[in-house]
Amino acid sequence: MELLDRYLEAVRKHLPWERQDDIIAELRANLEAQLEDKEAELGRPLTAGEAEDWLKQIGPPILVAARYFPQQYLIGPAVFPTYWFVLRLAVFWVTILYMIGVALEIAVHTPNWTAVHEGLLHVPEVLLTTGASVTLIFAVIEFMATRYPGRWPALAAPSGEWSPNALPPVEKEAVPGQKPRSYAYAVAEVIFGFVFLLWLLLVPHYPYLLLGPGAAYVQGSPFQFAPVCVQFYWWVVGLNVLQLGWRAVDLLRGSWQGPRRAQRNTMQALGLIPLLLLFTVRDHAWVTLRHPALDQARYGGAMEAINKAIYLGASVVCALAVLQLLWEIGRMGLNLYRKRAAAMR
Amino acid sequence: MTITENLFENLRLELRRGCLTLAVLAQLRHEHYGYTLRKALAKRGLEIDESTLYPLLRRLEAQGLLTSEWREEDKRNKRFYRLSGDGEQIFVQLLEEWQAINAAIHLTIDNIQ
Repeated sequence: MELLDRYLEAVRKHLPWERQDDIIAELRANLEAQLEDKEAELGRPLTAGEAEDWLKQIGPPILVAARYFPQQYLIGPAVFPTYWFVLRLAVFWVTILYMIGVALEIAVHTPNWTAVHEGLLHVPEVLLTTGASVTLIFAVIEFMATRYPGRWPALAAPSGEWSPNALPPVEKEAVPGQKPRSYAYAVAEVIFGFVFLLWLLLVPHYPYLLLGPGAAYVQGSPFQFAPVCVQFYWWVVGLNVLQLGWRAVDLLRGSWQGPRRAQRNTMQALGLIPLLLLFTVRDHAWVTLRHPALDQARYGGAMEAINKAIYLGASVVCALAVLQLLWEIGRMGLNLYRKRAAAMR
Repeated sequence: MTITENLFENLRLELRRGCLTLAVLAQLRHEHYGYTLRKALAKRGLEIDESTLYPLLRRLEAQGLLTSEWREEDKRNKRFYRLSGDGEQIFVQLLEEWQAINAAIHLTIDNIQ
């Protein structure tokens, strides 16, 4: 039957070359036997239309041939959970590191909006490259695990060596009655922390980001900030970097739900340093005159009033921060005492 | 095909996959070539597509569960399959497993009804 010959030739083209003859010979024997049965049942040869229907029912040659190949996954079910975990981590951390790199590059070399825009435009490219690289690595692992099953036990069968005793303890609610922080919330904290840091780094170059239209007035005014304000600024930047890094590490370790009291208290204590730094300035002169010889008579009084206001404000903020820190330390001490007392009973 | 129909079809195929292997192993306690095996299974109510059965025979042979030989019958060369020694052992184990599952499902259904 000519149509059957054509069909088998079409199947042959899609078969692995080393098994083509064997498979086609077997398939031919089976299909010819089936054809004979059909013709014996009808008492005549199949018409062209019936033969076509019969072969259509068996299936398209490419699909029939495909069934003779072993099932091959790009990333199979045994490797997929590890792949998904690594992919999420890689995409998250590469994005964070890339954005920190962009922020530093912008702050140090090219502080303008074009650089920010260009940096953000490259984010999809970075994400795609990271995703493709991780996928490629795991596709190779899958391939090797399929071909050499004994040599890749850790990834192909991660359930082999683990102990329930090695699992981390259940994380308790940070504050009783409150829901633990979700992963999305923790990720949002890191992202917004990064955006805030970027904003903070751009403020010296674009004061209107902080002062709005008032920036033009400050730039044209006879006053200027004392050098200690620059030190104060970099302390604030440093503290934000530290906090961002801390939160990011929490995410990486999977401990974003954990109690954050120690972290909060440490940041509060460190936050006092730049405030106290302000008080080391002689005569509390945080704002000075650009041209003292020229403007002392006219603006000297205003400068003193501004410095007094800043002093008053900084004193109140500093006092509140100290009180809050003491309160938190007191609560920590009390909790510790209660736990110990409970353990002694 | 609706989502429900598609879901049913996927579950049906999943359910059939293991059963077909068991049925083929059971039938190949006696020697068959592809087409007569398909006819024998169909006669017992288990229809299998050609494009599913013939590659399945190859896979089972590659796994060592079947043996095969080319032989002439009715003036045509055919490849005859039957259970290997390993295949017989595994067939017995699979059959026990299937019977246990079947019994458990019947019990579960009876309890619910």
